Amino acid sequence: MATKEEILEALKTVVDPELGINVVDLGLIYGVEVDDKSVRVTMTLTTHGCPLHESMAAAVQNVIRMVELTKEIHVDLVWEPAWNPTLMTDNARRLLGW
Amino acid sequence: MASTPLNIASGMTPSFSMVRKYFVAAAASFLVLCIGLTASYSDIHGHHFQPRLLALTHIATLGWITMIIFGAMYQLIPVVLEVKLYSELLAELQFWIFTAGVVGLAYGFWRFSVGMHLAAAAGLVLLAMIVFVFNVLATMAKVTQWNITGLFLLTSVVYLLLTGISGFLLSINLGFPFIGRIHLDYLKMHAHLGFIGWVTMVVMGVSLKLIPMFGLSHDFPTAPSKYAYAFLNLGLMGTMVEWLLTGAHWLLDFYVCLILLGIASFLLQLFLIYRHRLRKALDVGMEHSAAAFLFFFFAAAAGGFLAFATFGDAEAKEAFVLEYGVLALLGFASLLIVGQMYKIVPFLVWFHNFSDKAGREPVPMLKDMYSERGAEIELVILLLGILVLLAAIWFGLQGLLLGGFGLLLLGSLIFAYNIAAVFRIGKTYGDQRGNS
Repeated sequence: MATKEEILEALKTVVDPELGINVVDLGLIYGVEVDDKSVRVTMTLTTHGCPLHESMAAAVQNVIRMVELTKEIHVDLVWEPAWNPTLMTDNARRLLGW
Repeated sequence: MASTPLNIASGMTPSFSMVRKYFVAAAASFLVLCIGLTASYSDIHGHHFQPRLLALTHIATLGWITMIIFGAMYQLIPVVLEVKLYSELLAELQFWIFTAGVVGLAYGFWRFSVGMHLAAAAGLVLLAMIVFVFNVLATMAKVTQWNITGLFLLTSVVYLLLTGISGFLLSINLGFPFIGRIHLDYLKMHAHLGFIGWVTMVVMGVSLKLIPMFGLSHDFPTAPSKYAYAFLNLGLMGTMVEWLLTGAHWLLDFYVCLILLGIASFLLQLFLIYRHRLRKALDVGMEHSAAAFLFFFFAAAAGGFLAFATFGDAEAKEAFVLEYGVLALLGFASLLIVGQMYKIVPFLVWFHNFSDKAGREPVPMLKDMYSERGAEIELVILLLGILVLLAAIWFGLQGLLLGGFGLLLLGSLIFAYNIAAVFRIGKTYGDQRGNS
């Protein structure tokens, strides 16, 4: 059974194809809940109405399926609270040229 | 155990094959435009109302600019306003009607075979526009959450319809004169309804969504965009009424000032978005866009100058009108479209080819789908070409015009090659992965 930390590590392989930065470093993952039956990820995107929203949520689901073969996977895409730059890691800031 | 379906809005995106047609036809039109300009450089001088210039202007405004806007709006409206496109079938039909109309119109102007043939081609263009406007309005009828982008786009389609109707009437008037006044008075209205009402309004609406998204701009003031919308609409509608009624001159000046104020507000909004961006470095698509907005400033300044200045001789004025056209159609609209195509086309192809593979296997980044170096070189060549053209018109040097158009043709070839590479990448990338 994958832990929350292992799932977060796996999610670092999901990269925004426009920015070239992974969803964890971008601060898009708001929460990961793991119990006996399911994994629930709450996430957002940098811009409301971003055309990548379907792809990113599907990629998150695909990655979790590779580390967690049997559990139900829920990906909740939320717009509140809205994403803001303080959620990014130092690595993301560096990649954006800060 | 099966995964539960994602609880996200899905299925809004229109089919790739429909949108792709518009993008491919637009890129091909840009190439045809640059070939046509190079081939007929010796005709480009003096008054703008001449067969070849009319043909090339319509290849630029319809085949290139409007074609790409149709494709982009069909792609963006469902995503930005979170509604499904009313009818893909109509969008598909519209493409063929519009393409037939544009080809007929360009041929008619080129040969100057005015009469039924030209009016029929213009009728097809108008029919395609009516289908588009119906499709967009029927889609927008389902929108529950409006934003400033939606408002700009909604207004722009009304101006598109007015542009199409006025163009259709003008095409009839060329063969069977029925308008009591000078044809060129109405041509001026037709051109500005199209350029300010349709193209500029769309550019503003779409930019307000895409530029902050690409630059990761957050928490910027948005008031200037609202002023831009109000000033531009009041100014344009007022200008049209004054031109139609030939009313008081001071009133016309007032409305032109409103248009200029609207453009200034929009540019201020862009500057605020730029200042608040988190993504510090501009990629090649955004470099094109930045250059285009600089040309927009100069095009607006030239338009204002044309409205207020008095020219000593007619030749100088005609040269200035051509400069205005180069700044607006090539410097602003074309560079902006080329730049935004470097952003949008890779995304469309990525979404179609790699969306379901992301997270399961390696997928390319958008910037890896074309030659960035090639795009940088193309930008320099296009910029150089536009500057050479401006100088050639200013100094009346026909030979230099050929040089300018030759540079534009070279730039458009690199651009077409790069866009073709993006469309090919899905297959190539898949093959590479299969072999590794």
